[in-house]
Amino acid sequence: MTHPAAGGWVGRPLPLKEDARLVAGRGRFLDDLTPGRVLHVAMLRSPHPHARIAAIDTTAAAALPGVAAVVTGAEAAASSRPIRPLIPTAVPLDDYCLAVEHARFVGEPIAAVAAVDRATAEDAVERIEVTYEPLPAAVDAEAGARGEGPLLYPALGSNVVWHDTLTYGEVDAAFARADGVLEERFEIQRYASTPLETFGCIAEYDAGTDGYAFVTNDQRPGLTLAIMAESLGVPQARLRLQCPDIGGGFGNKRRPAYLLICALLARRAGRPVKFLEDRRENLTALMHAAGGVMHVALAYRADGTLLGLSIRDVTDEGKNLVSPAQHNLIKLGNIANGYRIPAIRYEAWSVLTNKCPSGANRGIGKPFMCFAMERAMTLLARRLGLDPAELRLRNYVSAAEMPYTTPTGSQYDSGDYPATLRAALERFGYAHWRREQAAARASGRLLGIGIATSVEPAGTNLASYEIITGRRAASGSAEAAMVRVEPDGQVRAALGDPPSGQGYETVVAQIVADELGLHPDQVSVARGFDSTTTPWLYLSGNYSNKFSVTDTGAVVGAARRVRDKLLRIAAHRLEIAAADLELRDGAARVRGAGDRGLTLRELARTAYADVLGLPPGEEPGLEARHAHQNPLARPIDAARRVPSQLVFANAAHCCLVEVDPATGGVRIVKYVVVHDCGRELNPLIVEGMVHGSTAHGIGAALLEEFRYDASGQLLTSTFMDYLKPTALDIPDIEVDRLEHPSPFTPLGAKGVGEGGAIPGPAAVANAVDDALAHLGVTVRSLPITPDAVWRWLDASAPERR
Amino acid sequence: METRVRLAVNGQAVDRIVDVRRSLSDFLRDDLGLTGTHVGCEHGVCGACTVLVEGQSARSCLLLAVQLDGAAVTTIEGLTPAAGLSPLQEAFRECHGLQCGFCTPGMIVVAHELLAHNAAPTTAEIREALAGNLCMCTGYVNIVRAVSRAARP
Repeated sequence: MTHPAAGGWVGRPLPLKEDARLVAGRGRFLDDLTPGRVLHVAMLRSPHPHARIAAIDTTAAAALPGVAAVVTGAEAAASSRPIRPLIPTAVPLDDYCLAVEHARFVGEPIAAVAAVDRATAEDAVERIEVTYEPLPAAVDAEAGARGEGPLLYPALGSNVVWHDTLTYGEVDAAFARADGVLEERFEIQRYASTPLETFGCIAEYDAGTDGYAFVTNDQRPGLTLAIMAESLGVPQARLRLQCPDIGGGFGNKRRPAYLLICALLARRAGRPVKFLEDRRENLTALMHAAGGVMHVALAYRADGTLLGLSIRDVTDEGKNLVSPAQHNLIKLGNIANGYRIPAIRYEAWSVLTNKCPSGANRGIGKPFMCFAMERAMTLLARRLGLDPAELRLRNYVSAAEMPYTTPTGSQYDSGDYPATLRAALERFGYAHWRREQAAARASGRLLGIGIATSVEPAGTNLASYEIITGRRAASGSAEAAMVRVEPDGQVRAALGDPPSGQGYETVVAQIVADELGLHPDQVSVARGFDSTTTPWLYLSGNYSNKFSVTDTGAVVGAARRVRDKLLRIAAHRLEIAAADLELRDGAARVRGAGDRGLTLRELARTAYADVLGLPPGEEPGLEARHAHQNPLARPIDAARRVPSQLVFANAAHCCLVEVDPATGGVRIVKYVVVHDCGRELNPLIVEGMVHGSTAHGIGAALLEEFRYDASGQLLTSTFMDYLKPTALDIPDIEVDRLEHPSPFTPLGAKGVGEGGAIPGPAAVANAVDDALAHLGVTVRSLPITPDAVWRWLDASAPERR
Repeated sequence: METRVRLAVNGQAVDRIVDVRRSLSDFLRDDLGLTGTHVGCEHGVCGACTVLVEGQSARSCLLLAVQLDGAAVTTIEGLTPAAGLSPLQEAFRECHGLQCGFCTPGMIVVAHELLAHNAAPTTAEIREALAGNLCMCTGYVNIVRAVSRAARP
C-alpha cells in the first residue's frame, strides 16, 4: 500500500499482473471465445503460385448439410470494395479480399465457407471445383528489378512497384577521395516470427443497424477499422472492434482481408462466424519478412574512417499491395547504424513476386540492414588488419555529439555507443576468448567470435511514406489513453495499443500508480481493446516498438489530468491551495501534515454523487483521456530527409560459436548482450524482451527459411520443415545494460522490443564467418544451416571432399 | 461417425458421444470448455496442447478423443489449485517465464512431468525436457529459470 521510498513504481522489476492468469491457462484468447450460434470458416486457397481462375463451382459445397454460406472472389468484388493500400502502386489496382480472376501466390484465398463446425467447413472447401489455368510465376526479385520475368499485374507494366535513388551528402566526392572501397553482396531469406497463436477473427453482422462487430487479434485496430469501413461501405460509427488477449504478434498479426471475408459470410449467413488460421495457412499466407539482396559499397580512409556508403537494395515483396517498399523506408532510417557516415546513397527496388505478401516482422528491414552493414564492417576490419571492435570504435557517433542527426534525417537522441560495445566486450571476456579461439584452432576446432552492434528505433513516422507516394496521407507517431477513478475510488486505465505479450497491464499500472500515489495493484488496466470504450486513433496499435516512446505519454497525460482534478476537488473541500496538496497512499494529503486529507473514494463520491461539493464550474466525474504525439516526428524536407522512425536505443551483441566441420552444424557457446534502452520501466519485462528478441535473431541466423522452389511453390509450410529454435538451440543469453534516458520521451524510456532481432543475425553470422574465414569461407547469406556451411566449405576447398 | 467415450478429466468422470475424428484438443476445449489447453500447430511440433495422459505428457492435437476411452487426462486446469497458484506456476510468474502466455500451459505441463520424476534437474535436463515445446516470445531463458526455481524449495 505504501509508496516505495525512492523513485516510484516505474523502474521496478514488478512481477506481472497478467502472468497470474496466463500461468493458470485463464487467458482469454480469440479461440477461447465462442458466441452463440457461431459458424466456423474454412478457406479454399490457391495451390498455384500464379494462375488464371477460369471457373469456380461452389454448388456441391453449398449443398453439403451444415454449410450456411459460401463466398468467392466474384461475390467479394460485387459486395465489398478493394482494400485500400497504405502505399499505393503507381497505377491503382483493385485488391479484393478474395482472389478475383487471378491467383498470385500459393495460399492466396480463392473462396471461403461458413459451416456448423470447422471440419464441415473443410469438407465443403474440398467440394469447391476450381478450373485453374496455371501461368508462369515470378520468383526472382533481382530478375524483376531488371525488368525480366512474368508480370503479376500487366497494368503496372513491371513488377517493380518502387525504384528510386536517394542521395544525401557528397557521395561521389567521398568515393573519389577514399583510400579504398569495400564492395559486397549480401542476401537474406524470407522468415517470420510466427506467433504461437495464429491470426483470426470473429465477425458478426447486425441487420437491424447495418453494423458489424469484430473480435480479432489484429495488432493495428485503428488502421483496420478505417479499412473495414471503406471496404464494407459503412461509417466507422457502425463498426465495433475488440481485441482479447493476443498470443504474440511481432508485426505478423494483421490481415484485414480475413476480417472482410468473415464479414461477408456473417452477413450472408445471418450468424456470427469465426476464422482462425491453421499453422499451414499461417506459414503459407499471412506475412513473411521480405527477402532480398543488398549490394554495399563502403568508402574508407586507410585508418578505417568511413567516408561514404552506397547501397543498392532489391526487396522481394511477394504479393504485397498494401505496404510495398515499407522495408526500404525502414532500412533508410537505420542505414548508418551507429556510425558517422557523412555521405550516403540508397538505390532501392521494391519488387512484386508470386510469393506470400511481405509485411511487418520484428524489426522490419532493420535485421537485413544491420546484417549487411555489420558484415561489411567486419570484412573491412579484416582487410585493414584491425580488430572488428576497434574499427567500430573509430566510427561511432560519440556521446558528445548527441543528439545527432544522420544524413537521411534520423535523430539519434542519446546514448554512448562506444561505452555499450566496451561493456559488452568486457562482460563477454573478449580477450580471453580470442586466446581460447587460437588454442582451439591449433587443435582443429573451429571457434568463432562475432560482434554486432545496432541502433534500435521506436515509433514509426508515417510521413516517411511520402518519399514513395509523393503525398502525405498520414504522419507522426501517436497513441491515446484513458484513466478513470471509478465511483468507488478504484482506478481503471485503458490504452489504444492492445498488447501481445509485453505486459502493458502491469507497466501502465506502474505509471498510473506513480502519478496518483497508489500501489499498482489498485490500478486495473483494461485487457486488450474495444473501439467503443478504449480511446484510439487511426495510428493506434501494437507496432513499431512505440509503447515506451509514445504510448507512455498518453498514459502519463491522462493520469496527470485526473491527478490535477483530484487535487482541485480536494483543495476546494479542504479550503486549502492545491499546491499544498499531494497524492499519496490513496489520498490527497496536505504536504507535511501526515495523514490529513481526503481519500480517492471520498473525492470520487464528490465527483460522481455529491456534485454540489465540486468547485464552481468543475465538470462532474473523474475520467480523463489524453493522446500523445511523439515530438521527434517531422515531415519530409526539401532534401528528402525524414525520420522514418524515432527514438533510438542501442545494443552490442557478442557471440561465440563452434562449427562442427563434420556436420556443418553451428552451436552457440556463449551470447552476451549489452543494451541501452534508456530508462527501464520494468526491468523484468525489458530483460525478457531482450532474450526473446535475440532468440528471433538466432532463429533467423541459423534455422528459419521460407524456401520457394523455382516454380514458386513453398517448400517449408509446417514446423517440421520451417524450423523454429527450441530450448536446445538458444543459449543462456547474458544481458547487461547501460541507461541513457531519452530526453524526448515522457519517462526517458526507449523501445526495447526489436533490439535483439536486429543485430542478432549479424552477430551470429560474424561469429560463423570468424570461425571459417581462415578456410576461405565468407558468410554472405542467411540462414547458416549445416547444409549451407557444408556447401561453403566445399566451394572453398573442393579437395577436402 | 460417432461413438461413446468415457474417461476421467482432471479427476472428473466424463461420458460423451463424440465424432470419431474429433481430436482430444478440440474435445477438451470445445466439448468440455477446458480452454487452458492451447492449440498452436495441430501437427504435433509446438507442444502448446500438451496434457498428461496417465501422468505422461502427450500432444492432445495428435490424439483422437476416442483413443482416450478409459484413460485419465490432466490439463492445466487440473494442475491449478482451487485457490492461488501451484509452486511451479508461482515460479513462472516470479521469473516472468512467459510473455504472451500462449505456450505456457503446455510448458507447465511438461515441467510438472519433469519435476515429478526428477526433483532437482540440471539446467541441461530442463532444456532437454522443454525441447519439444516451442515458445516464440521468451527465448526460453526465463522458462528455464522458472523451472529451476520451482525445483529448489
